[in-house]
Amino acid sequence: MKLWTPLFLLLSVVSGVLSTSSTPDKFAKYHSLSRSGPVDLDSSSYEDLISTPRDYYAVVILTATDVRFGCLLCRDFESEWDLIARSWNKGTKPEELKVVFGTLDFDNGKAVFQKLMLQTAPVLLIFPPTIGPLAKVEGDPIRFDFTGPISADQVYSWIGRHLPEGPKPQLVRPINYMRIISAIVILMAVVTAFAVLSPYVLPIVQSRTLWAAISLIAILLFTSGQMFNHIRKVPYVTSDGRGGISYFAGGFQNQFGLETQIVAAIYAVLSFATIVLALKVPRMEDVKGQQLAVVIWATVLFVTYGFLLSVFKAKNGGYPFYLPPF
Amino acid sequence: MAPSSLNVMLKGSSGRSTRGLLRVIILCTIAAAAVSSRLFSVIRFESIIHEFDPWFNFRATKYLIENGFYSFWDWFDDRTWHPLGRVTGGTLYPGLMVTSGVIYHILRLLTIPVDIRNICVLLAPGFSGLTALAMYLLTSEMSTSPSAGLLAAAFMGITPGYISRSVAGSYDNEAIAIFLLVFTFYLWIKAVKNGSIMWGALTALFYGYMVSAWGGYVFITNLIPLHVFVLLCMGRYSNRVYISYTTWYALGTLGSMQIPFVGFLPIRNSDHMSALGVFGLIQLVAFAEFIRTYLPGKEFQKLLTSMILLTVGLGFGGLVLLSVSGVIAPWSGRFYSLWDTGYAKIHIPIIASVSEHQPTAWPAFFFDLNFLIWLFPAGVFMCFQKLKDEHVFVVIYAVLASYFAGVMVRLMLTLTPIVCVAAALALSSILDSFLVASTPSSSSEAKEKPTAEDKSLRSTRKPVVGIYSFFSKSVVVGSVIVYLLLFVAHCTWVTSNAYSSPSVVLASKLPDGSQYIIDDYREAYYWLRQNTPDNAKIMAWWDYGYQIGGMADRPTLVDNNTWNNTHIATVGKAMSSREEVSYPILRQHDVDYVLVVFGGLLGYSGDDLNKFLWMVRIAEGIWPDEVKERDFFTARGEYRVDEEATPAMKNSLMYKMSYHNFQSLFPPGQAMDRVRGTKVPKESPQLNTLEEAFTSENWIVRLYKVKDLDNLGRDHSSAVAFDKGLKRKRATKHKGPRVLRTE
Repeated sequence: MKLWTPLFLLLSVVSGVLSTSSTPDKFAKYHSLSRSGPVDLDSSSYEDLISTPRDYYAVVILTATDVRFGCLLCRDFESEWDLIARSWNKGTKPEELKVVFGTLDFDNGKAVFQKLMLQTAPVLLIFPPTIGPLAKVEGDPIRFDFTGPISADQVYSWIGRHLPEGPKPQLVRPINYMRIISAIVILMAVVTAFAVLSPYVLPIVQSRTLWAAISLIAILLFTSGQMFNHIRKVPYVTSDGRGGISYFAGGFQNQFGLETQIVAAIYAVLSFATIVLALKVPRMEDVKGQQLAVVIWATVLFVTYGFLLSVFKAKNGGYPFYLPPF
Repeated sequence: MAPSSLNVMLKGSSGRSTRGLLRVIILCTIAAAAVSSRLFSVIRFESIIHEFDPWFNFRATKYLIENGFYSFWDWFDDRTWHPLGRVTGGTLYPGLMVTSGVIYHILRLLTIPVDIRNICVLLAPGFSGLTALAMYLLTSEMSTSPSAGLLAAAFMGITPGYISRSVAGSYDNEAIAIFLLVFTFYLWIKAVKNGSIMWGALTALFYGYMVSAWGGYVFITNLIPLHVFVLLCMGRYSNRVYISYTTWYALGTLGSMQIPFVGFLPIRNSDHMSALGVFGLIQLVAFAEFIRTYLPGKEFQKLLTSMILLTVGLGFGGLVLLSVSGVIAPWSGRFYSLWDTGYAKIHIPIIASVSEHQPTAWPAFFFDLNFLIWLFPAGVFMCFQKLKDEHVFVVIYAVLASYFAGVMVRLMLTLTPIVCVAAALALSSILDSFLVASTPSSSSEAKEKPTAEDKSLRSTRKPVVGIYSFFSKSVVVGSVIVYLLLFVAHCTWVTSNAYSSPSVVLASKLPDGSQYIIDDYREAYYWLRQNTPDNAKIMAWWDYGYQIGGMADRPTLVDNNTWNNTHIATVGKAMSSREEVSYPILRQHDVDYVLVVFGGLLGYSGDDLNKFLWMVRIAEGIWPDEVKERDFFTARGEYRVDEEATPAMKNSLMYKMSYHNFQSLFPPGQAMDRVRGTKVPKESPQLNTLEEAFTSENWIVRLYKVKDLDNLGRDHSSAVAFDKGLKRKRATKHKGPRVLRTE
């Protein structure tokens, strides 16, 4: 055992010398390249960046931001990634903790994607240093898989867990002054407009019909499942597999965007018929006209309700009730 | 003669009392119908407490009755959330338990011996009868038509949207809360109409009762101030509004602070800030009104406008400042997820995992409300006709509640009352015009002057004439009767098919049509009760915590209270990790038995493997490096349990416990999981640290005993291997020179 120690010392000195000769300028080079955001890489510079020996952490995202690839996640995460790199590069961190953030886009690095046999993007890789005080024994990269939309904070805390213990820069989200200012300006504009136009606007704002319309539309939207569409991001329509359009989703817990609009329209027709029968018809003075209106609206009510029941029956197989025409 | 005697009955003062009597009879009949339509489950199964939360309420009620009110108030429960325990008395809404406790003692006083369980089972149907009465009162305030209230009561009595939470046996907070909600609103409307302190104080009293009964009281806390705020914006300030609101707010807030669980929330939590803000605002408005009597009109208008702007600005700024500085607690998670619908999905998996917190698809609305759903907008429209103060309330309530019901299935319950009110208004106005026997004479119609004021809706400016022909009357009345009959049939069908299952006992149909009762839960819980020591700790997913506590009477690690996310994540981690990782966790938490629910044999889809991803997600939230959701999906992103399941899946404790020995039921290689519709691996998973203790008749509940440490100090896998007769390989047994043990 005692024999080994000097040998180790010797080796480490040699490697230290080697590293001082090659990598510091590599780190310096990429660090200067990055300036504030992440470094844009291509195949060759990527290989260079992750080549051993390295005394720094390389955190690289492999992504495909071009519209052609249709990677929504990549584009959504691009600004978040920028934020992470920016926060790190600007923040104060310990001297010996060297981290380079890089971005490799598919356009510039097809070879790398092929070599790694990547089917999906984006992929985040952390390459730990192989030499220096923070070197890891196994130099394999650590991989982060994206499963869905994710915020910078979550990714940043994941990166932070794979870096050595110690102080790290905080993730700083820049304050969007533009947005605050524009909000204030818009608010002021609205107030001014209201003050100037109030003689014309007030009657509209105070109009009962307007508020009735707004409330009814809101109620119809909400009770026809609009919030479900909004939260679950359901498709508007889908094909039925035979070249046609399937308007109604199968199953009780499912719906399509168009489907809810049809249902809202059905509710609207039914409500309108009810309102006409309750309020309009008793106020008609013409005997014949009244009779005609009653027959028409009662029929509309009956047929539409029958249709609604049949739609509901289609969604919910075991439902036993129906009205004659359907 | 009959017609003349009928005339005597229906006209004059005796007519009034006849009609009053009829109304009472009708209301009693409605209440009886409401109660009896909720008894399906008692008739079909037995008088049993349903589902999950009711079991806790039942257990708490029993505690209250055995130990008295004061020890219930100070109850520390060491049999849940082992080893933490739970300050139960201070973290529950006591209204429900106290109500049934009072009923129990009153019945005892009358020397009627009733089992507390029967009171608990029948409390919800009983209160639904009262809800129908409260609904009658509320709707009668909205309309001059005498039939609207009766219709609303009938709707409320049998609509599935309310039945879903109040069948016999669903002994939950909502059972009494909906009655309190409706009745509080009735008192509030009464208070606004009369401007009397008495009605305001009564509102506050019932509001306090509501606070003690259900967390949904926040809905009232925000709706009443909103009502007042809108009235102020419409320039409808009056002394009536001032008196009723200030009385309600002052007394109601004091009352609500008496509940330990609520405590100082009403002045610290953002959920309650709108009530406080409106309270301040109404003082200013009252002050302004006072000044108005001394100032000329023009000056006053300016003063008022600037004052309103200033207050709103200051109030909003102050609220933001206090929220940021942390004096006011931030919006509670469940409440926040109502506004930012994406919030819960990302940040609070435990909320997102509960099926009641999912958004509502349109069939659910129709399922729960049937034809009321399209009468509802019509009724709201009719409220705009007169638009008195109480109609404003209906409109606000309707819009807000339909938004909430759309975001969260569970809040359908708060929408139902207002739907009944609005639908009754619409339908009664149809029936009132079409159910009149006399025909208007064409000449008399011109006598009525167009009295409608300018502000009214355009469609109602002309005077009411009436319906001329008998044919139109019969067409409309006939079709309305058809709709009403259809509604009753629908409600009965829905109640009997969807809402009457206790979910503790399941029923299925055999091929010959006879009913087959699946009673695995109780079988397993009673096994625990009779075969394990009194303090054996049971680990199960939190869904079953209350049931284990209630039926098996054994301590649990987590339950449906979900107050400690980390503890739940610990259980999730133990379930989703390898045995080597899980065993230390089980030992550290003194777990004696592990309970899993497995539906693979019967095709019972609500089993633990289907909930498993939520366990993984919740565990990942706390230990992102040790449990990863990604590991449970195959490379192609599928959630599989068969031969191609991922190693993490196959080695997880949950998977092993679910499929342990399952293969032995089938001929070799044919084991079939009926829930997920796949074949399961040929080999039974090897369990080393647990042993099977009990499996219920249909394999729905499986219990495993956690092995003690090995007597010879071996690890469990080698002990099991030794028992099986496998020899340990000697090759690795290269030892260095012997070393003396050093301390």
